[in-house]
Amino acid sequence: MSAPTIRDRLYEAPGPRTRRRVALFTVLALIGLGFLLFIIIRQFARQGQLEARYWDFFLKWSTWRYLGQGLLSTLKAALTAAVIAIALGFILMRGKLRQNPVPRWIATAVIEFTRGVPTLLLIYFFFLVLPRMGLNLGAFWRITLPCAISASGIIAEAFRAGVNAVPKGQAEAALSLGLSNTRTFYQVVFPQALRFVIPSLISELVIVLKDTTFAYVVSYADLMQHAKVLITSHDALVSVYLVVAVIYILINYALNRMSDRIAQGNRRPTVQRQGGAA
Amino acid sequence: MTQIQSRDVPVIELRHVDKHYGDLHVLKDISLSVGKGEVVVIIGPSGSGKSTLCRTVNRLETIDSGEILIEGVPLPQDGRQLAALRSRIGMVFQSFNLFSHMTVLDNMILAPTGVLKLNRKAAKDEAMALLDRVGVADQAHKLPAQLSGGQQQRAAIARALAMHPRAMLFDEPTSALDPEMIGEVLNVMTELAADGMTMLIVTHEMNFARRVASRVIFMDGGSIVEENTPEAFFTQPRSQRALDFLQSIRN
Ligand SMILES: Nc1ncnc2c1ncn2[C@@H]1O[C@H](COP(=O)(O)OP(=O)(O)O)[C@@H](O)[C@H]1O
Ligand SMILES: [Mg+2]
Repeated sequence: MSAPTIRDRLYEAPGPRTRRRVALFTVLALIGLGFLLFIIIRQFARQGQLEARYWDFFLKWSTWRYLGQGLLSTLKAALTAAVIAIALGFILMRGKLRQNPVPRWIATAVIEFTRGVPTLLLIYFFFLVLPRMGLNLGAFWRITLPCAISASGIIAEAFRAGVNAVPKGQAEAALSLGLSNTRTFYQVVFPQALRFVIPSLISELVIVLKDTTFAYVVSYADLMQHAKVLITSHDALVSVYLVVAVIYILINYALNRMSDRIAQGNRRPTVQRQGGAA
Repeated sequence: MTQIQSRDVPVIELRHVDKHYGDLHVLKDISLSVGKGEVVVIIGPSGSGKSTLCRTVNRLETIDSGEILIEGVPLPQDGRQLAALRSRIGMVFQSFNLFSHMTVLDNMILAPTGVLKLNRKAAKDEAMALLDRVGVADQAHKLPAQLSGGQQQRAAIARALAMHPRAMLFDEPTSALDPEMIGEVLNVMTELAADGMTMLIVTHEMNFARRVASRVIFMDGGSIVEENTPEAFFTQPRSQRALDFLQSIRN
């Protein structure tokens, strides 16, 4: 019943020789990376990108406030999109797990569609096509809804994989006690599925967050848009993009760490023996 | 339906039950009945259809033809009636199947509060009494994974008893256990039998079967080959197949 992560399945625990090799490669990689960084910085310096005028406006409070506002808009859009995507994903998963073939086919079709179509295409649809059909959504929804729809199929599949990973005996035990199908799902199966699902949900959140950078298409003033304004007003492309990239990386890194934490926390209680042979 | 319930109406009755898995004919014209307070033990080689038979009784498996009656009433097809019926038949699985995300106590009260609509206090009190009866009261606040196999199975039996079942189904309840834990589970089952519980048990524990069974049913290849008293079955079985089977496990 313990749930080994994919990482566990792919990699065995390293032995001493492997560990030494890993250490060597780490050192080599760090040296390589340092060298690369040195070349980049030297190149920037030659091009004058390190001059004070490209960087001194970052000492001003107003610059950070402006970036902060953009970041807030990005987070608002990403969070809204994530909530909608999770709700949609849940509904699609329920549809796909139904016995009745009609909702199952519909759910399958929608899932395959959302997984196959590029987010940008959906955004163009919301931005260009829907207004022609008389549906005028604000810029906020023009970016959040496509991002949400785009993520919903993958989330539905993650939910489904989680539900399928719960041993069948759990549902059978619940049913044999007289619990209804609904209670069995919500009180026994789904809570256990969530433990498997949360890490992939968070990785999906990272993708949603990155997708919101398409906000420029619909002129939604997100972090990237504010960055562009800074670039033009200070005539400083490289420095602004570097700072913004670091902000995105930090957020996504934090999310990924969170997901690793949860995945690890999940494994602890299931490491011990549980159940027997099927 | 309590009106028609009388001494001679079997608690569980199967009439000419057939079931296929694709081309595989797993249950062949099975007829069997378990009266009130009877302990019927099903014995047979692996793959003979014992689990499938057991699971048709509360419709975890559907059947192709024939009839299954519980206290004289045909098994409902689905929905609320089926759930209500299942709540009156306890089932104990080989792999325990305690809900792994809940403490033992929460496992115990989920169905009594959710299905029987007992209040939490009453459900907990009864749960603790039952856990005490099977000897795992001190484990009530642990997660299933923190218990030994024998403790988990005893808790699973207590969980089924909390629904006040009219009958209990056991599908190889000790097959997943380390040998030193088998006894503690069989003891609980022996006490249950002595208390008059109606039981249908699939097991390979021959000594237990001989001690506790009112009747033994020997299955092979999806059919009931022999139905006999435990004494007769274990000393002089009527069928050659039962004799071969008994010899094969004694060696
Ligand atoms: N869900 C299933 N689908 C297909 N075949 C099955 C399924 N469950 C059991 N069987 C087959 O049915 C036969 C009887 O299985 P089972 O009732 O589990 O036997 P037993 O419990 O006596 O070992 C076996 O051959 C088994 O492989
Ligand atoms: Mg079996």
